[in-house]
Amino acid sequence: MSQYWIVAAILLPILGGALTPVLPFRSRRGMLIYLEVLTIATSAIVLTALSRGTTETLHLVYFVRGLSISFRIDGLAMLFGGLVSILWPFAMLYSFEYMEHEGHEKIFFMFYSMTYGVTLGVAFASDMLSMYLFYELLTLVTVPLILHTLVREAILAVRQYLYMSLGGAAFALIAIVFLMVYGDTMEFTLGGVLNPAVIGGETNRLLFVYLLAFFGFGVKAAIFPMSAWLPQAGVAPTPVTALLHAVAVVKAGVFAILRLTYYSFGAEFLKGTWVQPIVMGFAMFTIVYGCSRAVKEQHIKRRLAYSTVSNLSYIILGASMMTPAGMVGAMAHMVCHAFMKIGSFLCAGAIMHQTDKKYIYELNGFGRKMPVVFGCFTVSALGLMGVPGLAGFISKWNLAKAAVESENVMAYFGIGCLLISALLTAIYMMSIVIRAFFPGRDFDGRSTEGVRDPGWKMCFPLLCFAAAVIAIGLCSDPLICFLQDIAAGIY
Amino acid sequence: MNFNIWLILAVFLPIACGVLILFFPGLKKRNLLLGVSFLSLAVSMLCALAVIAEGKAELHLLQFGGSLEVYFHVDPLGRVFAAVITVVWLMADIFSCEYMKHEKEEKRYFGFYVLVYGVLMALCFSGNLVTYYMFYEMMTLTTLPLIMHNKSREAIMAGLKYLFYSLCGAYLVLFGIYFLNRYAGTLDFTAGGSGLEAAGGHSALMLVVVFLMILGFGVKAGMFPMHAWLPTAHPVAPAPASAVLSGLVVKMGVLGIVRVIFYVVGPEVIRGTWVQTAWLTLTLITVFMGSMLAYREKVMKKRLAYSTVSQISYILFGLALLNPEAMTGSLLHVVFHACVKSCLFLSAGAVIYKTGKTRVDELTGIGKEMPVTIWCYTFASLALVGIPPASGFISKWYLAGGSLESGIPVFSWLGPVVLLVSALLTAGYLLPITIRGFLPGADYDYEGLQKKEPSGVMVIPLLILAGLSVLLGTFPNPLIHYLNEIIGTLF
Repeated sequence: MSQYWIVAAILLPILGGALTPVLPFRSRRGMLIYLEVLTIATSAIVLTALSRGTTETLHLVYFVRGLSISFRIDGLAMLFGGLVSILWPFAMLYSFEYMEHEGHEKIFFMFYSMTYGVTLGVAFASDMLSMYLFYELLTLVTVPLILHTLVREAILAVRQYLYMSLGGAAFALIAIVFLMVYGDTMEFTLGGVLNPAVIGGETNRLLFVYLLAFFGFGVKAAIFPMSAWLPQAGVAPTPVTALLHAVAVVKAGVFAILRLTYYSFGAEFLKGTWVQPIVMGFAMFTIVYGCSRAVKEQHIKRRLAYSTVSNLSYIILGASMMTPAGMVGAMAHMVCHAFMKIGSFLCAGAIMHQTDKKYIYELNGFGRKMPVVFGCFTVSALGLMGVPGLAGFISKWNLAKAAVESENVMAYFGIGCLLISALLTAIYMMSIVIRAFFPGRDFDGRSTEGVRDPGWKMCFPLLCFAAAVIAIGLCSDPLICFLQDIAAGIY
Repeated sequence: MNFNIWLILAVFLPIACGVLILFFPGLKKRNLLLGVSFLSLAVSMLCALAVIAEGKAELHLLQFGGSLEVYFHVDPLGRVFAAVITVVWLMADIFSCEYMKHEKEEKRYFGFYVLVYGVLMALCFSGNLVTYYMFYEMMTLTTLPLIMHNKSREAIMAGLKYLFYSLCGAYLVLFGIYFLNRYAGTLDFTAGGSGLEAAGGHSALMLVVVFLMILGFGVKAGMFPMHAWLPTAHPVAPAPASAVLSGLVVKMGVLGIVRVIFYVVGPEVIRGTWVQTAWLTLTLITVFMGSMLAYREKVMKKRLAYSTVSQISYILFGLALLNPEAMTGSLLHVVFHACVKSCLFLSAGAVIYKTGKTRVDELTGIGKEMPVTIWCYTFASLALVGIPPASGFISKWYLAGGSLESGIPVFSWLGPVVLLVSALLTAGYLLPITIRGFLPGADYDYEGLQKKEPSGVMVIPLLILAGLSVLLGTFPNPLIHYLNEIIGTLF
């Protein structure tokens, strides 16, 4: 039964969102209530369906025999779908206040809602083909959101985003074809679907195909050579950067890589082969590369975007260990990073919304004037650094634990990369915090006159995310146990 | 009677009070602020003393994920450190009451001052490495505002330098914790350590890991090559803060190393390996280099900071020898150096407060103006140089004796030589202030001499600390006896 609810949850925001521009709202307020109700209803449906839980597959449409659009609730889907459905209502609430002065609200909210449905589609797709379909849709439906301001920069960013994403997806398609031939089934199965009898001596060819698909999906996950689009896409309004470019879209890329690695090719097939060092090497390089670029960057949103580049590769590093523990670490960071990064992005957005300041050197002395925003920002910053007691420490702990347990020397160096990255994170995040709270002796109050915290619609999500970062940090057992069950195939 | 409640109070009462002082908008009146901060500190100290006196409390506070646990356990070593911290912290607090008059934003200063006391107590009473690491990071973050207190550009840059060096060290430690978590059996502190029997065939890896942890904690302890932050950061803080930073906070690096080597890993693991050789080399380099740099330095507080670099490495040298006698010397030096260095920094603070003079060459005739302060300074200096019967003599005696007894080639005789040369240099950089202060020469303007002795609030802490510096050396037997008991359990 639950799988029908999932279909409803996917379609509801897509249809409801599409109707936004044509419905006759009497006032802005009416539209906002409609949107928030729509989002909360969707989330409620998703969470109810998840709590009921079922492993049955629903085949919605058959193209030809064996190829269908189908949905199923399994562990990884529960994780990603649940995560997205918790975050979306908060981000929606935030965007009501943020978008007040941005114009073209109806179009924005239309696509913003639709993206929700499509992301859920990616999460709950039960085979490679269905996921691929929603994955492509996700690329297309987010284009108008990046394009929103219609400035030249936005157009260039969108062009880059489209070319790279579609190109990447094409590579992924190759893998789907090979999986059809060499696999027992298209359906995601923990441990992989490849049929050893069919593979015969063609292991290397399949490994190469895996590599192609890895980098194909890696575009959205912003692995090094394909990471350039993410900072560029920061021209989008902040609710988009925060939710899509820190969680939904980029994590869809990571999610696809996890599906590809653990549910299609299978970790056992890949572990110890020549692709593992390549994959891990790229992840390690991206971790350090993203952080170094973030340190250099002065534009606050672009700095956070580079930080995302780096953090996404933490997840991929975990995935590339090809062990259940590595998968736990990867999923843990998927959750923890989501809360920390969306929190810090929303803070950056609040600053831009209240003051129009975009560069870090303009933020002197803001801490005293916007205590809620900078308080929450500090929590996210410390979390990203991995201070114990906050979420980031937990996920890094699990990643490192997996690396140590894997007894793979390269993974040891991976831990080194994590820690170098943590140090660089401290540099690029704490320099903002310290500037805001300790503006220096020659600072006069004039530049911060009239600056204050935004209204409750923006502050409330910030506080919730900061609280979540602390809560996960202090009590991670339920989460980690759940993730371990997923990696063990219990869900 | 259950002493756990006192333990909780000793750690969390100052933290809570500190936060309250920081955020409570009242406390505008100076006297009220001083009263509240002194009272909360005094009550916390009484709780701490109750714990120290009983010495048996044990508390599993919070399990925040898997093997990660906040666990407090009072053991003899923690009692020694906690007792020293409590005494010196109280003295510096009394001193601050007067000294901080000439600095602004006292509320922030006292708030963090009270808070850091709780963090240090937590470090002393930590029962496992994770708890230690957690509060270690917290200590870095909460001492940062003390360093950046005056908000000058110099102070902020020094603060950042401190932060990044410290985090670099902390992450090296964390790297080690990841591995010890798997190979050490337990991260709980048990006297003598586990000997890493679980590590099996990974002994080469384990040595690297242990060395990195020594380096990591060595950052806080100002060990070469990561000492550069210390002479920058300690002097820019207000004098009482420099006193506790230099006298106590650096010791937490020492405690960390003791905990890792003697309570988790076990000294036998590194005895006779390249780790011990490298560690001995680094400490001797630091001892010599710190003294030389102090000798060359003209700014008084910087000179004292370089002296700290050198003196802490005395302690580390004693630890690195891995024999009971040298370790007695080390732990004695922990106690003595805390009293001496805080006394020196406080007298430098008294001079700055009364005359505004910071450079050594301006201090001609200072002994005539402030005789009591400079007498205290002189006694503390003599203790640090190691003139019997003042305290430094005893600790150096044990260090040298332990070194000669250790039978390690080269180091067994090189160590005492370096210690002696460094003691000579110590006399060379500390005593000229006394000599020129009391004997300013014939051309000194005796007519214009003004008595500038500070008030009792500043002088009494100086007298007490100077008295302790001398008397602890004259009557060291109870302390030595107690330390020997501790050390007896470690080897």
